[in-house]
Formats: sequence, C-alpha cells, structure tokens
Amino acid sequence: MKYAFFLGCLIPAREPNYESSVRKVSSELGIELVEMKGANCCAPFSIQSLDYVTWLALAARNLTLAEEMGLDILTLCNDCYESLLMTNTILKNDKELREKVNGILADLRLEFKGKIDVKGFIDVLYDDVGLEKVKNSIKEPFDGLKAALQPGCHLTKPKRIHFGEWMGIRALDELAEATGAKSIAYERKEACCGGPLRGINDEIASQVAKQKLDSIKGSGADCIVTVCPFCYVELDMGQLEIKRRSKEEYNLPVLHFAELLRMAMGMKLENWEIRTHRVPITKILNMKEAK
Amino acid sequence: MSSLDADFMHDVANTPRGRGILTCIQCGRCTSSCSVARVVEDHNPRKLMEMIILGLRREVLHGPLPWYCLSCFTCLDRCPQNGDVGETMFAIRNLAVKEGNTPRAIVDQAQNLFGTGRVVVPTRMALIQRERYGMGKEPAVDVEAVQKILRKTSFDKLIYR
Amino acid sequence: MQKEVIVIGGGIAGIQASLDLANRGFKVYLVEKSPGIGGRMAQLDKTFPTMDCSICILAPKMIECARHSNVQLLTYSEVKEVKGSLGNFEVNVLRKPRYVDEAKCTGCGICADNCPAEAPNQFDENIGMRKAIYMPFPQAVPRVMVIDKDSCIECGLCDKVCEADAVNRDQQPEEVELNVGAIVVATGFDMFDPAVIPQYGYGRFKNVITAMELERLLCASGPTGGLLIRPSDGRIPRSIAFIQCVGSRDRREWINHPYCSSICCKYAVKDAVLIKEHEPNSRVAIFYIDMRAFGRGFQEFVNRAKSEFGISFIRSNPGELSDDPTTDNLIVWYEDPITRTVQHVSFDLVVLCPTLIPRRGAQELAETLGVELDNYGFFKPADPVKKPLDTTVPGIFACGYCLGPKTGDIPDSIAQGSATAALVAEVLATQEVP
Repeated sequence: MKYAFFLGCLIPAREPNYESSVRKVSSELGIELVEMKGANCCAPFSIQSLDYVTWLALAARNLTLAEEMGLDILTLCNDCYESLLMTNTILKNDKELREKVNGILADLRLEFKGKIDVKGFIDVLYDDVGLEKVKNSIKEPFDGLKAALQPGCHLTKPKRIHFGEWMGIRALDELAEATGAKSIAYERKEACCGGPLRGINDEIASQVAKQKLDSIKGSGADCIVTVCPFCYVELDMGQLEIKRRSKEEYNLPVLHFAELLRMAMGMKLENWEIRTHRVPITKILNMKEAK
Repeated sequence: MSSLDADFMHDVANTPRGRGILTCIQCGRCTSSCSVARVVEDHNPRKLMEMIILGLRREVLHGPLPWYCLSCFTCLDRCPQNGDVGETMFAIRNLAVKEGNTPRAIVDQAQNLFGTGRVVVPTRMALIQRERYGMGKEPAVDVEAVQKILRKTSFDKLIYR
Repeated sequence: MQKEVIVIGGGIAGIQASLDLANRGFKVYLVEKSPGIGGRMAQLDKTFPTMDCSICILAPKMIECARHSNVQLLTYSEVKEVKGSLGNFEVNVLRKPRYVDEAKCTGCGICADNCPAEAPNQFDENIGMRKAIYMPFPQAVPRVMVIDKDSCIECGLCDKVCEADAVNRDQQPEEVELNVGAIVVATGFDMFDPAVIPQYGYGRFKNVITAMELERLLCASGPTGGLLIRPSDGRIPRSIAFIQCVGSRDRREWINHPYCSSICCKYAVKDAVLIKEHEPNSRVAIFYIDMRAFGRGFQEFVNRAKSEFGISFIRSNPGELSDDPTTDNLIVWYEDPITRTVQHVSFDLVVLCPTLIPRRGAQELAETLGVELDNYGFFKPADPVKKPLDTTVPGIFACGYCLGPKTGDIPDSIAQGSATAALVAEVLATQEVP
C-alpha cells in the first residue's frame, strides 16, 4: 500500500504532532507514504470562493503530480480531501473544463489524465488496510474511553461524491471502537465545527464551535477525537477562545484520530506532542496508564 | 432599497457552481439545517436564494452576506432539488469578489498563496519540531509553478488591487 | 377469444374493475396476493374530503365481489406465468396454502383466541401483534383464517378447537391454469421507507411514525381501538406535527423520487382534522412546501381545517428532528416563514408523509407479464396521453396507483377501474384492441 502523501498547508504549518502520529501508525500498518515533491496548496474553500478556474488548476496540479508518481493520493485534512476529490471528480467527467485546465497546466508541462483516486486517511484505514488488520495491530486497547468522534464536514459531504454520509461516519465509529474506545452518540454529529470562519469572523466561528461543544458535553463524552486538522484547532484552541469570551469551560481534551490509534497500538505520545494540545490531555493519559 | 436587477438570477446561473438558483423551490430545508443560521439571524440560505431570484444584486453581493457560510455542505446534501444551495454560495462569492467585496482574512490567505504557495505560513515552533522530531525540513513548494498558474488565471489581479 | 378476465390486485381499483366487468356478464378472476381483498382503502379510517368511514364504503363492494356469480376470488394467490396474447392469455396462478380449508372455515376466530404464537400485524403496519393463525382484518373477505407458517409453532391447538374441522396443516400450494381474453393490473402502492432519510429519525426516535401507521392508530378496528396513543409511552399526544414531502419532489440521486405523490397533502389534512376530532385540545401543525389540494372540495376542506379546526399550516420544510431523551418528545427544526429565523418546537408525535412507490413485487409481475415499467417502477402506459390505461402489451390494462401518481385518490381509482373495465369489455366484444 503506497500512496502519494499530500500534507496540505495546515499540518506542516501548525500540527506536526498530527503528522508524527500518522507516520508512526502508517509504518506499523504497512502504509508507505511517498513525498509529493513541490506539491502546492490544495486550494481550500477560501480560494475556491475567489475564483473557480484557479481552484481547479491549483488542485489539478497536485493531481497530476500524483499521476506522474502513479499513486493514489492520501490526504489527512478534510479540506484538502474535499478540494482534491471534487476537482478529480469534476475534471474526470467534464471534458470542457478538463481541456481548459489542461490549457493552463500546459505551461508547466503537466496534463491531467484522471488516472488516480483521492483517498482520506480514514478511507485507507477502512478500505485498504481493513478493519481486521487494524484490530490485530492494537496492543494496548483503551478501556471504553468515551469518545465523541468528530468526522468533520468533508469526510462525508457532499454525499454525491463521497461514499455516503452515514456510511463514512460508521467507518469512523468502527475504527475508533477497534481501539477500545466507545463512540458516543451525540446530537448533530455531522455538523460543522465552525473552523472555516476562523479568521474571517471569529465571533461566529466561536458560536458554531460552542453549539458543537454543547452537544458533546451533553452526551457525557470524556474526549473529542477529530479527523480534520481544522476541526482539531477549532475544538481544541476554540475551547480556550470560548472560555475567554464567555468564561464557559468544557475541559474536553481533543485527540487526533491518528493519536488515538497510535496509543492503542502501544506507542506512547512524546512530551512535545502532549504539550501541543491546548486543552490538556492528562486525564486520557492517566486513564491509559491506570490500566 | 435598490432597484431590482432582473438579470441577476441569470448572471448567477451562468457563473460556475451557480446553476442551482434556477431550480430552487424555496422549501426552507437548507435554512433549518444550517449551523450558522441558528446563530446569526442575517444568515439564511433560503432567503439568500430568494434575494437572488428577486434581483437584489447590491444587497447580496455587497456586505457580509456571502461570507457567513461555512461551506459545510449540510444544506447541499439535504436540498431536494439536488443540492445546489451550498454550491450557489460559491458562485455568489466569486461574483462578490469580482466587485471588490472580499474579507481581509481571505485576501491575506490568497496573498500567502501567491508568495509562498501555501495559504498558511508555518510557525517557527512547528518548523523546529518537524526537524527535531524526524519529519525533516519544511516540504518545499514549487512557488514558481503556483505563480504561473495564478498569473494565467488572472488571480493576482483579483487579490492585488 | 376467451371471454374471461383476470384482475390482479384486490384494492378498490381492482374491485371496481371486477364488478363492472362481472355486471356486464364477463367471468372475472380476482387474484390477490394477500389473504383478503380491500387493499389500502381497507386500512384507512376515513376518506377525504367527505370524511366517510372508509371500510363502510368499501365493504359492500368487497362482499359483492365475494357473492357475485361472475367473480371468483383467488386470494393468497399470485400470477406466476403468462403466455399468449390478446384474446388468448394462458395464465398460471399459484394459490399459496392457507392451511385452512376455505370451504369449511366460518371465520369464527376461536382458533386465534387459543393460538399461543404471535407475529407483527402487517395490516396494522407492524404496530401490535396478531396470532400465527389469523384473520387479516375484522371485515376481511373472504372471511377465512390463514396460518402464517413462519410464526406457527405447530402446537396443533387451532385444529383441536376448530368446530368446523377446517384446519388442514398438510395443504399444498395449488396451481390453477386459466385461459383469459384480457388482464387488468391494479396492484397499488407501498410507502417509501423514511429511514433512508436519517435526519427525520424514523426507526431511531420512537415517536416518529408514518401516515399509514397513524391511520391504523386512528382506526376503530386498529391495534388501539381508535385511541390515538404514541408508541413510546402509550400517552395521548397533545401536540402533533405532520411533515410533508418525505422523499417526494426529491431529485437527489439516492432518493430519486422527483415526482409529487399527489395525495399526501390531502390525506395529511384529513388526518389532522381526524386528530382534532379525537383530541380537540391538541396542537396540530402541518409543515409543507406547497399545499396541493386541487379538485372538488379539497381547497374548501383545507380552509375548514384552518378556520374551524385551528390547524396550523406552516410553509417550511423542516431539515431535521432531534429528540428529547427524557420525554421522547421530538424537536422540529424549521425556518419560521414569518420571522425568517430558525426555530425549534417540541411535539409529542411526528407523522411523516412519505413518497408513494410501486408495490413490492411489481417488478417481478411486470417481467412475468412482459409489460414495461417507467423509471420509477410504475406500470408504463402505452401512450401517456391517448392510452393512459393500456400497458405496453395489447390486452393487458392497468388502473389505480400502480400506474403512478395521478390524482390518485379513491374516486379516481374507482373511475379508472370502471374505465379499464369498459376498455376490456370493448376488446372482448370486438376482438380487437380499442
């Protein structure tokens, strides 16, 4: 299992701990991550809001790089996933747009041919590695840790290009339960964290995050587990922001899914990784140690 | 109250991702599903579609209305007319940007993209941690390639005025 | 040219077609898949807009079918093979074993009283149970019990207590070969399963039900004797919401019912009025996209619903329901059409009005008959304008909802049944396709 590893912008810029856990988990499960040299930003929704063709061209460049490598893309960020998957789907099906984009890429001597697929980390774990193999790799399962899973909007929406809203969420649930955690049902699991508005309108972003945190708090979960680095920042640092604005505290530690899996596979988090979490994750670590 | 622009709906329909405006039946399912509509009274996807249909060009394209959307696609997945509220939002933004209405934060991201090939500039701490803990130097972006693309699509003209 | 006809489907359309043909002197075989005729109309409490008791209008026609010298009821039977053509169809009908002798059973019901085994009551939309030996519903025609072998535990008690010695546990399926001049299809509709749309919580939230389930709860011969109680706690709901267009007018690929089912607005208003008649102090709201109450008497009925009965009509399609786990009440999230803000309101019970789809088995029947279906699985007319009741095979006609959503209500089904009978009669008289 070899993939063109698309890191995106946010993870190298802010969340090296996410990348570190992914690399460790991948190496244990036999997933080979090949660097995409010179890959550019995927063109997330902010760039898509500015201009349509620019978005397609930027995303297509990354797709062509992977095509030249002859590998499917594996991406960790939901926004990158949405941008690349949508572009791949659009250009595979729309001849006119494909020709237009290839006209732009021609200057770089690149051509989109539509030969590869775009996959998220959860897709790869569930479909390519398989639940059985993931289960077999678990050496130190969690003892029923009550986790509120945050799939993130673009793991499963829009349904017409993903494999199905509720199926995608179910795959995530099953993978999380394989680690010994318990996936807690809560209201509006598929709702947005508010992340996309961060920086554009912090007030609204906070209020949307608050809706999410309120419903998670009401469900009795011990922690939140995210897939997307935007959700991670919004729900982790976002809790401090909400505390600043309205003094409300949630004390819900946020873990990357890859970190959850890594710990269950018996690889401890290092101090630098633990410290990057703004809401301390000590209680989760203590729960694990106590076993 | 500005005068109504009868062409506005068709302009939106002819913008990429804007075709959905022609089939909106104003059922309201989008608004009742929207996370932002629950928090911000001004943000109401169904109402935005109504304003486009009526031709309220100025009210839609200027001001904060296009920029509340999270593009979470909840509305898109639930729309009975096959989902184009969420898509139409992008068309509106493309039009709003052409008329000079772009939030500062997005302009900053776009300028980062032009200068470095990325929308987010890495923090020093992150770069140090990468190198120290075995993930190597910051992965290099082919900035020249990005700039070639952005010039070809006249993107630079949009963000540097 | 054979002068006999098969009508497939014992609902109101099929019954009407059968009676009209029988009265003209033609021999009719009325083939019905379930153990009794009556179809959907037998499940309803009242009909709109006159608020007549449904079974009261239907039962006389059902009994006339049973007694008519020119009608032979073949219930609990299915058409398995069809050969031949207009004027001379060779049809093989499989009669499934009831394990009860139709000639001997008096329908007294002592067997059911003594039967220890139970299964969900299909006629009551799986609310409540019925015994393994059962009468499909109290007014069933023919008035004969039937044993469902899947839930039967073979204790033999029914046989012991039956005074007519009608139980026959060794009964075999029977094949009947019929030679007919024409065939009429009247297989009706099913309701789309709203669990496909997870946001409405059908199947997850206890107090979200479909309109057909509501009909059974409101019906005096239903599982609660006509007392409207809600599934979670048996309390009488004080606030009820109807959500229209669950799956209808929906162009999403995984739903694919872009059509309007045409009768849901009407029956929703009828049900809302019925609820208000049962519980005058309850709060009833209908959430709709368009209120399609066309035709004679329907708009007037809607007006009465608003002015006389105080039912709220809210022009907004709710995006989702959430539930309150302590009370099992539902919270409906919708955009208030007047204030244009997102509101949420609590209701004790939510009724979904799902799309109407072809009956399960319609596909297989179409293959057996060699007729074409449209993209949604409804029987396709030979010409949608000029020949709306002819299927694509000459000599095979169709009537009622199996043709898809037309005006679709009961008077229309009756009218189509009669029209189809006239067409069949013409065919058999002239020996040509009209």
